[in-house]
Amino acid sequence: MRMRGLSKVAVAVIVVLIVVGVAAVFLFRQQFGGQVSQIVIGVTDKVTDLDPANAYDFFTWEILSNVMEGLVKYKPGTLEIVPGLAESWEVKDDGKVWVFKLRDNLKFADGTPLTAKDVKRSIERVMNINGDPAWLVTSFVEKVEAPDDRTVVFYLKQPTSFFLALVATPPYFPVHPDYSPTSIDSDQTAGGAGPYKIVKFVRDEEIVLEANPNYYGDPPKTKRIVVKFFRDASSLRLALENGEIDIAWRTLRPTDIEYFKGKEGFKVVEVPGSFIRYICLNVRVSPTNNKLVRQALAAALDRKEIIDVVLRGAGEPLYSLVPNGMWSHIDAFKKYGDANLDLAKQLLSQAGFSEDNKLKIELWYTPTHYGDTEADIAQLLKSQWEKTGLIEVEIKSAEWGTYVDYIRNGRLSVYLLGWYPDYLDPDDYLTPFLHSEANSWSGTGYANETVDKLLEEAQRLTNQEDRAKLYEQVQEILAEDVPYIPIFQGRLYIVARSNVEGIVPSPTMLFYYATLYKS
Amino acid sequence: MSGRGLGYYILIRALMIIPTVLILYTLVFVLLRLLPGDPILAVVGTKHISAEQLEHLRKLAGLDKPPYVQYFEYLWNVLHGDFGVTLAMPMGKPVKDYIFLKFPATLELTIASFIVSVFLGLLTGTIAAVKRGTWIDSAMRLYSIIAYTLFIPWFGLILQYIFGLKLKVLPTSGRIDPGMYIEWITGLYVLDSILTGNLQAFISAISHLILPSITLGIVLSGAYTRLVRNNLVDVLSMDFIRSYYARGLSKYKIIWYGLKNAFIPIVTLMGLQFAILLGGAILTETTFNWPGIGTFIVDRIDYRDYNSIQGAIIFFAFFVSVISLIVDVIYALLDPRVKY
Repeated sequence: MRMRGLSKVAVAVIVVLIVVGVAAVFLFRQQFGGQVSQIVIGVTDKVTDLDPANAYDFFTWEILSNVMEGLVKYKPGTLEIVPGLAESWEVKDDGKVWVFKLRDNLKFADGTPLTAKDVKRSIERVMNINGDPAWLVTSFVEKVEAPDDRTVVFYLKQPTSFFLALVATPPYFPVHPDYSPTSIDSDQTAGGAGPYKIVKFVRDEEIVLEANPNYYGDPPKTKRIVVKFFRDASSLRLALENGEIDIAWRTLRPTDIEYFKGKEGFKVVEVPGSFIRYICLNVRVSPTNNKLVRQALAAALDRKEIIDVVLRGAGEPLYSLVPNGMWSHIDAFKKYGDANLDLAKQLLSQAGFSEDNKLKIELWYTPTHYGDTEADIAQLLKSQWEKTGLIEVEIKSAEWGTYVDYIRNGRLSVYLLGWYPDYLDPDDYLTPFLHSEANSWSGTGYANETVDKLLEEAQRLTNQEDRAKLYEQVQEILAEDVPYIPIFQGRLYIVARSNVEGIVPSPTMLFYYATLYKS
Repeated sequence: MSGRGLGYYILIRALMIIPTVLILYTLVFVLLRLLPGDPILAVVGTKHISAEQLEHLRKLAGLDKPPYVQYFEYLWNVLHGDFGVTLAMPMGKPVKDYIFLKFPATLELTIASFIVSVFLGLLTGTIAAVKRGTWIDSAMRLYSIIAYTLFIPWFGLILQYIFGLKLKVLPTSGRIDPGMYIEWITGLYVLDSILTGNLQAFISAISHLILPSITLGIVLSGAYTRLVRNNLVDVLSMDFIRSYYARGLSKYKIIWYGLKNAFIPIVTLMGLQFAILLGGAILTETTFNWPGIGTFIVDRIDYRDYNSIQGAIIFFAFFVSVISLIVDVIYALLDPRVKY
């Protein structure tokens, strides 16, 4: 019996120890929790490469845009280009020479002075290293000069009307002299001259930013920003609900967005997206080498149904490759209507198809690259096209690497793709798709001399109105020839705890952290 | 027993590691290349990249060579401590750096789960054996079966829901509070925070470790429960135990002696379990957003990053082999019947 009593004591001691331990952990966490004033942003994206000479994905560009700045930048919340590190610029020689004047007394985050020579060094570095995004510089810039500490002169290969939009992209950002001059420096945290500096980077775990004391502009409202990386949308959602993060950014699932929209203590901010989704039609292989077939597919498509059913409203119908709201955009595909079965049937019978001789197509998609809703889009397209009674659709899919391989080799006929812009100008939504020398990646095989000429002409002109006219013409031809059928323009969401203020959604889809603060 | 002794035994066991790792490497190498998808195209996607540039990237990654050349080259490099470079996100970084960065996280989780599983296993197994034939015994055996068959992501989610969302006492993801500073000494955050006397980081690291290690620990404890119970039941019915009773030794002392005798097969299981533990770590890591080797491998499979996957798995296999060698040596020392 003595032992029995002892064991009870032992059990009691263990229980007390556990309870005290848990309580201590809990209390300490509470106590330490609120000490540091910082905002934590969770994402399922990754920072791939901290070197602007090689980074070529949206999220990494977002981080770079917060820790570096270009000669010009976008005004937050708009597509308006405003002075950045340069206070002014002028265009000479009919658009072939661009002269930028830097602000006085610029410094990198550690206090090292930033002069025109640093701009020249950084851009030449991008050209020499020739990484993934280098074409944004090398295709346009012949050479760059720094005649004095505050003047940067770009000599272009040909007049380029959208050069400012290019200069606003990360490959043009001046970087700290610590970046290796001849090779890619993926984990370099010295940064540039942006509102923040990187104080810690643990790959796939977190990146910690702190206000750059040497920034020329207004200091950021929150001194410290932590970006925490998540593997999937469910753990991101859980962390936001549990208060481990303040903001959930790219990308929660449509169902999660719906959930937070109705939930107290959270706010959902809509970000107009500049990424577009479309169907590609290979004009070199049967049956899509027949223009009537391509037009019929465009007529039978029902954009609204896809947006409502699959995206739960997270998108806008798109009737051109140029996104809604961007200058020169016209609703060129409106002429076919949506779910216009009569027109589709008429075009198909004109092409010689009937109920006994149906048009047979293979519709291809890739299951994960564009999120898990892709299979649903394919299913819906199948049912929309088959409603004509004259089309038989077989759905096929391939994993991303294989998919891209098939497309590049021109082996697919009807397939789904998406586009994130490199720079925000109609040129980036038309030339890569329609210019016969730039569109080999798309596998549509489209080539049209008139279109090539119009696009080249528009690249040279400096007057936006004149350019817009040419782009409108190109869009008309696009809607007539139908090598692509635009479906929708995506929308993104920022979900935050309700005490987070200063969220400015930007049509560039880059999130600038400097305006964020907690109320 | 021959006269060659323990040294010889250890040597043979150590040599056995070579074929083990080699077979695993071969399997992974072949399976990766059977999977559809190309590592270079998976990264490049549809962006503006010319055919020449693609060929250049392929050459950089060594993928232009025939597979058998790739196989032996990689093996040769691994023997020289070079695990190759990553093929994606970003390209060209030494895989070794990633292993060193991620492995401590996995090791920390593994050690904590191991402690939880052994503790729970010994406790439930001993209770079951002592209360043999009663409802408590049945309950413990039921626990063992349920624990063993629990699906980690599901069980983890339940714990996240209860202790994270509902009670709000524990974090559900990561290793430490966002933005918290911790000096990197061993990479084991709990240990590092103790070594640097950083109480704040210590509390944070421990609280992040609780849910994942309990999840994995409970799942793994099932096997111990059964083994401890069965061995202890056998030992407790032996003559020497009965003589202890006859001599009037206290019940707890007897159980202790019994446990000591039942311990040998349990040590073996520990070695085996350690291997399973690492496998289970992959599921636990992805559930709890734990930035270890498991998460790394799963990420890299998406990119078809051959070098990273091969490298991480070879390292893993080597580590597990060494641990089981150590366990076997301990076993041999404990039990003179082992022939070597």
